Amino acid sequence: MSSFKGNDGPETSSGRDEGEATLKFATWQSAVDEGFWHRLASLKLDTLQLAEHPIPVTGFFAPCSHPQVSSHVQLLLESLDNGQSRNNPADLLGNRNRVPISGMLYNTNTLEGFYSLDKQLLLKNTAQQIWHDIQSGRAAEDSRLLNRFLMISHADLKSWNFFYWFAFPAIKLPIPATSAPPKIASEVFDGNEGAGVLSACNHWRSVTPTMTHPFFLLHISVSGLVQAKPLSEWESVKLEGGKVIAAFYDPCHLPNNPGWPLRNLLAFAAIYWHVHTLQVICYRERRGQADLKQCIVFDVIIPQLPDWSDMSNVPEAIGWELNAFRKVGPRSVNLSSSMDPYKLASAAA
Amino acid sequence: MAFTQRLHEAFKGAVERMTSHRTVSAFKEKGVLTPDEFILAGDNLVSKCPTWSWEAGDPNKRRPYFPANKQYLITRNVPCLRRAASIEEEYEAVGGEVLLDDEDDGGWLATHGALCGNKGEEDNLPSMDTTETPDRQEIRIINAYAGGNEEDVIPDMADFEEADNIVETDAATLQPPYLVANEPDDDNILRTRTYDISITYDKYYQTPRVWLTGYNEARMLLRPELVLQDVSQDHAHKTVTIEDHPHLAGKHASVHPCRHSAVMKKIIDVLMSRGVEPEVDKYLFLFLKFVASVIPTIEYDYTMDFDLGGSHH
Repeated sequence: MSSFKGNDGPETSSGRDEGEATLKFATWQSAVDEGFWHRLASLKLDTLQLAEHPIPVTGFFAPCSHPQVSSHVQLLLESLDNGQSRNNPADLLGNRNRVPISGMLYNTNTLEGFYSLDKQLLLKNTAQQIWHDIQSGRAAEDSRLLNRFLMISHADLKSWNFFYWFAFPAIKLPIPATSAPPKIASEVFDGNEGAGVLSACNHWRSVTPTMTHPFFLLHISVSGLVQAKPLSEWESVKLEGGKVIAAFYDPCHLPNNPGWPLRNLLAFAAIYWHVHTLQVICYRERRGQADLKQCIVFDVIIPQLPDWSDMSNVPEAIGWELNAFRKVGPRSVNLSSSMDPYKLASAAA
Repeated sequence: MAFTQRLHEAFKGAVERMTSHRTVSAFKEKGVLTPDEFILAGDNLVSKCPTWSWEAGDPNKRRPYFPANKQYLITRNVPCLRRAASIEEEYEAVGGEVLLDDEDDGGWLATHGALCGNKGEEDNLPSMDTTETPDRQEIRIINAYAGGNEEDVIPDMADFEEADNIVETDAATLQPPYLVANEPDDDNILRTRTYDISITYDKYYQTPRVWLTGYNEARMLLRPELVLQDVSQDHAHKTVTIEDHPHLAGKHASVHPCRHSAVMKKIIDVLMSRGVEPEVDKYLFLFLKFVASVIPTIEYDYTMDFDLGGSHH
């Protein structure tokens, strides 16, 4: 099956073409809260010192909840907890606005070290991890494994400059997936079916532990009953008959494009379920509630893949975030006004 | 920070440490809340407006009179499509804002005075209609990194770009990578600022207190001074000040709570004069409604499409 690339017109209006076109994904965005840098600085001074080993870190996101703004992966003070602080992990459970996304932080001692990290390799390793989790079925059991990020940083604790760069690794299909323009979910699911989809999604989003699992299935049974199910139940709902739609928490707000997390879901569908067509609903909210007028539905066509059962045949990955100038490069933030003891002392005098 | 402000903060801190918190409700009499009532009102806000949630915050900054996992409230990633300052120019064009009498009304502004018409005693009671969303206007990108000056930002960026060879070509990546309310032509990239809005309990004033953490159009931390562009200009530097957040790191813009109880008392009185018996768990809806006059362009959720009080009329 060959993919048909749309002409090079404005991507967001690719929906005008009624035919199949390459599915284009809006990238993740990162946002780092000041508390994270304060915690990193104290971790570096008190614990890490000159150690440069990778540190597990947790980002948080929520599905898009505003028609004009995408949501982003946010790093907070709690992102570096590692279970060492007095924050009871139970305190973080049950917060629907904090869907965790796990990451790895590589903090270097010098700016030169930051420059010379092999970023392609780091990205590749993370993508490989995702790929293994798909192959092994771990991702079917815990869909959170499909969303991962990595972050490199250099904390200059003399000038209080923090350099950092995020990557959100996505497995790149050898031939891009295609889709006809999306439909608004409220038009795809009307009447009782729409009400069923809405209530199944709201239920998934409001109970522990499913609320923090960003990928799931919607099963519409032959009798019209709609239920949200984990990815691991694909085979059994297929046997039951009816319709199965893959769903994911979409951080993206755009009317014609899905967000980045769909990429790894499509890779998962191709590798683990061996499907070539998949109906997908981009789950979005309005004022914190499921809203089918904001959700969009794609009928995705996934091209034939090479034989990935051969473990040496690792697919390509992409995902380094562009900086504030939309260039390939890191970001930096200067926090001397809130961290530099000299400045703090003179401001207090 | 003005010296008098710091002196006051020190005094307030000392009083807060030495006095116990309010335990008897004085919601209707004084417009204030006990910590228990704050939790009650916060629980109601979180259940009606699920974009809000409770946070535990830094364990070292925990207030003992609140449950560990309910220290303050927050709503994240709230869009702010245009600067409050630019809206005010438009208001001035149609007759300007009405600054209400300082004595009676605590200096709060009837932000929409000129547009919404007159006037009278209830004018400082914010309208219960949903605030109309202003027409979108293009905002240009501001390179607003937290702290520091332009010159100490990204010293070696040029070297770095040269040195790095990451080229990710991919037909399936949507360009530009982040969007864009209305993309104007060429390089005048329009982006949307966003805010994290938190509500803490101020023990000294016995009222909630609102804090603003801004992110620029590229989701980089905004310097608190730039946050003041999104505050109604008559409040910037007066009722809105930049201070240490009680639970979060760093300086954040905050609506100073010294007049909150007086305004809340006034709102409660107006409701009661209309025969509506206000319920304390609705406090934060009323409170957020009046905060909207201070930050008119930040579109946070405080929708209340249910009865304000318990009584029917």
